[in-house]
Amino acid sequence: MSASLYAALSAARHCAPGCTAKDEVWRSGKLRLYRYRSISSPSSAVPLLIVYALVNRPYMMDLEPDRSLIRGLLSRGVDVYLIDWGYPDGADRFTTLEDYLERQLAGCIDEILKVRKLAALNLLGVCQGGVFSLCFAALHPERVRNLITMVTPVDFHTSTDLLSKWARKIDVDAWVGRGNVSGEVLNQLFLALMPFRLSQQKYVDLLRGDVDQARIENFMRVERWIYDSPDQAGAAFREFVVWFYQQNRLVRGGLSIGGRSVDLRTLELPILNLIGTRDHLVPPASSTALRDLTRSKDFTTLELDLGHIGMYVSARAQRQVPPAIADWLEAR
Amino acid sequence: MPADAWRQWAAFAALFNPTTDPSPLGTFRSSPGAFAPFVDAEKFAAAARAFQSGQDAQTAAAAFSDFLRDQLGGVLDGLWGGPAFDGSAATGEEAPALGPNREQQERLQRATAAWRRLYQAQRRLQRLCSDALSEAARAFVSRQGVPAAPPTAEGLHGLYDAWIDCAEEAYARVAHGEAFGVALADALKAASEWRGECAASIEQWAKWLDWPMRSEINSLSLRVRALEEQQRERSRERETPARPVAKKAKKRTSAAKKPRGRTKR
Repeated sequence: MSASLYAALSAARHCAPGCTAKDEVWRSGKLRLYRYRSISSPSSAVPLLIVYALVNRPYMMDLEPDRSLIRGLLSRGVDVYLIDWGYPDGADRFTTLEDYLERQLAGCIDEILKVRKLAALNLLGVCQGGVFSLCFAALHPERVRNLITMVTPVDFHTSTDLLSKWARKIDVDAWVGRGNVSGEVLNQLFLALMPFRLSQQKYVDLLRGDVDQARIENFMRVERWIYDSPDQAGAAFREFVVWFYQQNRLVRGGLSIGGRSVDLRTLELPILNLIGTRDHLVPPASSTALRDLTRSKDFTTLELDLGHIGMYVSARAQRQVPPAIADWLEAR
Repeated sequence: MPADAWRQWAAFAALFNPTTDPSPLGTFRSSPGAFAPFVDAEKFAAAARAFQSGQDAQTAAAAFSDFLRDQLGGVLDGLWGGPAFDGSAATGEEAPALGPNREQQERLQRATAAWRRLYQAQRRLQRLCSDALSEAARAFVSRQGVPAAPPTAEGLHGLYDAWIDCAEEAYARVAHGEAFGVALADALKAASEWRGECAASIEQWAKWLDWPMRSEINSLSLRVRALEEQQRERSRERETPARPVAKKAKKRTSAAKKPRGRTKR
C-alpha cells in the first residue's frame, strides 16, 4: 500500500485545478472577469457574479468536475460570472478598498449590466468577497437584485473568532509599512489557527484506507490551492484589518468607502446567508449577525454542517449548496 | 489487513524519510521538511507500540506524554518560522553612535534590538505552546488508558486522531488567551521592524550606487495614481451635462456675495 500511495501522489503532482470552460469577458489591470459557458438551458436572464476573497485564488470554486460549485450552478441553469483579482505586486501597494470596490468590482458589474442590458444582477460573495458584496450592495442597491453571502464574516468580534482576537492586537501599520503583505506569512497565520489538523493530520489521513487516485488528485489540488496565496495590497489590507477586524465597523457603524457611508441597515434586497457550522475561520455567530443588521424582509439563513473550505469543495456541499442557491434564485 | 500495522506505517514513512531512503526518492531529500508529517507518523507508530507493549501504565503514560510534547513542539517551530535563533543582546547594541557613520550604526542597533525582541516573543510563544502540549499529553493519556491488545492499523489511526483532538483542544485554550495574542503581535511587530531596518539599509546602498530606490518607485506610483484619479474626474465631468453645472456656479456666486453684504452691515 505504501508504494502505491506514493506512486499515486507522484502521479497527481501536476493535477491542475479548474475544469469548466470559461471566457475572459473584461479586464482591468490584473483583474480578469470570466463568464462560464453554459452547460444547460438558462433558468433566468439575470446572471450571478461570484466575488471571491483576495486572500486565496478563486479557482477553488471550480476545482474539479465532481467538486465544483460553479459547475453545480451551471447545471441548474445559472449564468455564472467570476472575478479573478490576480496577484498583486509591488505596484499595487497603494490600492485601497475603494479601488477594489468602486473601480474593480463596480467595473465588472457595469460591464455585465451594459452587455446584458440589465439594471441589476445577482451577487454571490465568498468570505472576504462576501464583505465586499455587502458593502457594494449598500453603496449601490440599485445594481444588486439578490445577494448571497457565503461563509462571510459580519460581526468580527464574536467570542470564538480566534483570527479576530489575534488581529485586534496586531500593529497593522508596523506590519504593512508602505509595502504589501506577504501571502505566505498570512497563510502561516491561517494554519496556526489549527496547526495540528492543518499541518499534520491531513497528511497522515492519506494513509487511511485503500489508495484512491481520485481522492489523491483532489487532495493535491486542494493542497496547491492552500499554498497559492497571493500577496495582499498593503493599503487595502490595512483598511480591512483596521476597519473590520479591529473596529468592527459593519456592526458598530462608521464605515465609509470612498467618502460614502456604508450602512447595512439600508439593505432591503433579498439575502441568502450560507453558514458553515464547523467553520474555523469565520465562526457561525459572525455570519448570523447579518440578519439583525439589515432591513431585508426576505432574509434566508442556511446553516450547513460544513467547514469553511468544505462549503465549496466537500462532496456533501456539492449535493446541498448549488441546489440551494439555484432554487433560492429561481424563486426570485 | 496486515498483522503488524506499525511496519506498514514505518514502511510508508521510510519512503519519505531522508535518513532511511536508499535511492529512488532522491529529489525529496533536499526538502525533507515537506514530508515531516509522514516521518512524525512513523515516530508516532513506534511510540504507540511502546505505549502498548505491556509496561506498567504509569511508565507507559509518562513516556508517551514526553513523546507527544517533543513531537508537537516541532510542529509549532515550523509555524513560527523555524527553530529559535540566539537572541542574546549583541555587543555594541548600546554604544553611542558618533561620527559620519552614526546613521548606519543606529540602524544596525535598531535592527539588532528588533531581532532580539522577535526572539523573545518567539520564546514566549514556545513556552505557551509547551504548556498546551503538557496539558494535551495529560488529557490524551487519561482518555486512552493503556490498551492491552496489540495495535491494528485502525487502532493506530484512532490513537492518532485522539492525539490530534487533545492537542487542538489544548492549543485552542492557549491561543485564545491574552498572553498568546500579545506574544504573537509582538513577534509580528518585531519582525516587521527588523525587515524595515534591513530595507532601509539596502535603500542606502541603492542611493549610493545610483540604483532605483523603493522610495522613488513609491513616489512614481503615487503620482500615477493621482493622474489616474484626475483622468477619472475629467471623464466624470465630460459625462455630466453642462447646463446644471453652469446654474450651480451662478448660484454659488450669488450665495457667496450675500455674507459679504451682511458683514458690512
